[in-house]
Amino acid sequence: MARPLRIFVAAVALMAIAGVGAGAGCARVKPHQREHLSRQSMTADQEPGESRFEQHARGSREGADGGTGEAGGGCGCN
Amino acid sequence: MSLRLSVVLALALCSSTARADGEVMFRGAYYKERSTRVQQPMVDAKLDVGEHGELDAHFLVDVITSASVSAGQDGAEFREVRYENGASYLHDFGRFRLGGGYRLSTEPDYVSAFGTLRGEVSLADKNTVIGGTFAAGHDAFDDGNASGMGSKSGKMKTTLGSLSVSQLLSPLVVAGVTYDLSWVRGDQENLYRQVPVGDPLGLSDESVPDRRLRHALFGSVRGFVEPSRTTIVLGYRYYQDDWKVRAHTPEARVIQDFGGGIAARLRYRYYRQTAAEFYQTIYDVEQPLMTSDPKLSQFETQTVGVSVWAPLSRLGVEGNPGKVRAQLLVDYIHQTNAFGDAVAAQVAFTMPLEF
Repeated sequence: MARPLRIFVAAVALMAIAGVGAGAGCARVKPHQREHLSRQSMTADQEPGESRFEQHARGSREGADGGTGEAGGGCGCN
Repeated sequence: MSLRLSVVLALALCSSTARADGEVMFRGAYYKERSTRVQQPMVDAKLDVGEHGELDAHFLVDVITSASVSAGQDGAEFREVRYENGASYLHDFGRFRLGGGYRLSTEPDYVSAFGTLRGEVSLADKNTVIGGTFAAGHDAFDDGNASGMGSKSGKMKTTLGSLSVSQLLSPLVVAGVTYDLSWVRGDQENLYRQVPVGDPLGLSDESVPDRRLRHALFGSVRGFVEPSRTTIVLGYRYYQDDWKVRAHTPEARVIQDFGGGIAARLRYRYYRQTAAEFYQTIYDVEQPLMTSDPKLSQFETQTVGVSVWAPLSRLGVEGNPGKVRAQLLVDYIHQTNAFGDAVAAQVAFTMPLEF
């Protein structure tokens, strides 16, 4: 198997194990127990504009990109 | 014209609904390092569309002033303006959420367009959320014969696949993992960047591979400390690509809720990467692949930042204007490469909408 494909398969497998493992090992959190989980600091402490500016600045200053689930780049400032 | 497209899309979706709530955010961002300065005013809108839809739209202007057109190198100062707009819509079908969006960026010598599809499924009474994103982008650039030695132009295509899992671990802890796979094809050189070559020293055009496969795996845990109303966020990203760049990025953030809408955040981020396998500061002889781009060198970055939020009512503003939430953010970035240290600052005002 080619190395990039091995990395892809390993990453997906790791995520599946993490998700299933975490889910299986925890008591289910009921909706009425989610008061603190719905706080903005527990969902996203960065506003869209803040994170977009930061991602863009890093994309033009760092060789690495990604991990946000969103496409980076998109400008000639590389 | 692009801004008009965003507004028309937003109004078209909202006009079919009986009610909508949301918020509008005005933000000014500033970035300064040794030879580059960026000013970026932007506006973001987030609107509920009916009972099950959510629309996001943004427009920004990027004013870049740099010592040279290939930032990080010495030369005559230049100034360029970039415009970007985008919108996305996500519809809630109960267990599933589906949506899509676009992003369009234009500069005098560069145009970039992205389309995105996004899907999520909730499991175990929404304790687990699995998400997937597919994005495709097309970039085109043309220097318009700026050098007088003939026009340089190129095209680049980007395809992104992303998977994410979010898991509630307790009423106070949530964890998430995201994996991004990005496949970039086409001309990835900077049109203006040149590479020092030979003895006596001359300059040649940058040349990098026309394929790049990029992997990024990010994991994070958020926990809320109830007695002190403190949120702690720990994250780590591992990145590697087939240019042999590898990077580690741990990050920690602490958000303190002081009550009454006042909050503060402290953050620390560490970033370290290896150099691309063909990177050199100076080449003895011409090579098929050559770059002296500082961001493809081996270096590390440390970021320390502070951010504070407060509603304007806490500053004595009354009535509806008092509901506006203000944010002030300052980051100091220590970079061990040719870019040098940087400072970033942002000021934002978020206005709730009810209609």
